[in-house]
Amino acid sequence: MSATATPAPATSSTIEDVDDGRHRSASSRLLRTELRLLTRDPLTLTFVLMFPIVSMLIIGGSFGTEPDEVFPVNPAHWYVASYFTVVIGATGLIMLPVHIATYRERGVLRRFAASGFPRWSFALAELAVGLTAIAVAGPLLLAVAAPVYGLPEIDAPVRVAAGIVVASVAFVSIGVLLGTVLPSARAAQAVGLMLFFPSFLLGVGGPPPAVMSEPLREISERLPLALANDAIREPWLGIGTGTGPLVAISVIAIVAAALAARRTAL
Amino acid sequence: MTTTSHSPATEPIVTVRGLTKSYAGRTVVDALDLDVHEGEVLGLIGANGAGKTTTVECLQGLRRADRGEIRVFGLDPVRDADRVRAHLGSQLQSSGLPDRLRVGEAVALFAGPRASGADRLLEQFGLAGKRRAPYTGMSGGERQRLFLVLALLNRPRLVILDELTQGLDPAARREVWSAVAQLRDAGTTVLLVTHELDEAEALCERVVAMRDGRVLDQGTPADLVARHAREVTVRFALPDEADLSGTAADLQALNRLPGTVAVTRDRGQVAIRGTRDVIAHVGAWLVRRGDPIPADLRVDIPDLESALLTLLDQPARSEKEAA
Repeated sequence: MSATATPAPATSSTIEDVDDGRHRSASSRLLRTELRLLTRDPLTLTFVLMFPIVSMLIIGGSFGTEPDEVFPVNPAHWYVASYFTVVIGATGLIMLPVHIATYRERGVLRRFAASGFPRWSFALAELAVGLTAIAVAGPLLLAVAAPVYGLPEIDAPVRVAAGIVVASVAFVSIGVLLGTVLPSARAAQAVGLMLFFPSFLLGVGGPPPAVMSEPLREISERLPLALANDAIREPWLGIGTGTGPLVAISVIAIVAAALAARRTAL
Repeated sequence: MTTTSHSPATEPIVTVRGLTKSYAGRTVVDALDLDVHEGEVLGLIGANGAGKTTTVECLQGLRRADRGEIRVFGLDPVRDADRVRAHLGSQLQSSGLPDRLRVGEAVALFAGPRASGADRLLEQFGLAGKRRAPYTGMSGGERQRLFLVLALLNRPRLVILDELTQGLDPAARREVWSAVAQLRDAGTTVLLVTHELDEAEALCERVVAMRDGRVLDQGTPADLVARHAREVTVRFALPDEADLSGTAADLQALNRLPGTVAVTRDRGQVAIRGTRDVIAHVGAWLVRRGDPIPADLRVDIPDLESALLTLLDQPARSEKEAA
């Protein structure tokens, strides 16, 4: 270590609140850092980017392109629309819980708090990170699907947009909440995977409801990820308005967001 | 118990009166009073579970006190958390950074409006060449030096360092000590929490010894040693053990030396315990005898560790009351 002088501490006897306005706010610095770290996270790259695309390419081509008694529309389009929700589910149930639980486990959040980051800065940063992951991975999935299966025409664009926004907020909030409740990164990974895969197989990217047994169909219709899927897929493919699922997922979004904000305050 | 009140020339920038904090019915900090004066390096010492970390967490507003009053720069650290933390630099026990965050990015992230001299700090703490190194790839010593850089980045008036060298190898510990010594020399106020007593003795101008959430004693390390670990021990082997009458005469002579408190003999080794005068008198006695000076001659001078052990051996107030 060199013998260079340590910067002198502030010596005034009273507290000065100095901000010349040129300095980036703590919230903005935290947001930029979190977005940068998002691109280096292998879990994000695997589960949010790669998994939905690979699964969609496999499943989307398994049932042909003609509607039948099982699929009310082109099966490939059914799955392309469905797998947009897989991106939302993977972000909320796997990426964010593990990310935040890791921070808690390693004392990163305590460090942020002790360093004077504003109370709500971490909650806002994680909301932005989750929505950004969905905003990048969702269109990427559609870009890959377009030349292979074609993109299904959107029947009710406003309703679809509302469904995507509300479902994204709901699952990002659930993810943040899980990350603040679960005791460790390992627990977050285990619980996240346990929540994600049944939701994914029963409610979104697995067999269509028409081939499920009655009890399974009953369960799948009540899963939050299935509600999110219906709020997006029904108005997208013109097989319904998706109003009921949209209302239900809106309630989930409000409750989860309120609880997540409370839990992530530094 | 003897407690001296330390009154440096400067006003306290931290005052704690009657701080009490319990977890699940167990009192961790018990009616604690503490002052930290501007420009001093104060050590909070004590065994694990003494309440040191809880105390500094309350000072930083990370925990709410159950009772008592805390003022940091004259402000309440919970109610005025933003204003207090802007002037605090801290190294928290068991805290880290995101694995993939690089050194340069960490500096940019934690640099607030008052930050200055980031490059100089990185240079000073030997991290200038590590700007692109991710946190996960850094050694323990490098991480602690990075935490010091981050703690100092915003020119804090008070730096809190909690178990700064825990888990470091001896070379890395020395590096970090040297960094803290630089802070002390630059006039930064430092509150050092440690159970490493050689660390406290080397770095602190004043120490506060804690047990069960209470202050046992406080003062300079030398004060505490003088009050609680006065006795030195001189050891050496007596030659010709077969000469029983000669050995007995030697032991009697040693026992009569000024300052001697006790003389014991174990497997040929003699230990003379007494005041510091004993060192000179035993030396003179050995020279007078005319035999070669024993090759295993050793003097154990008390240090802060001996003083704290003596303090910790005293019965707790509750035990005294029960008695």
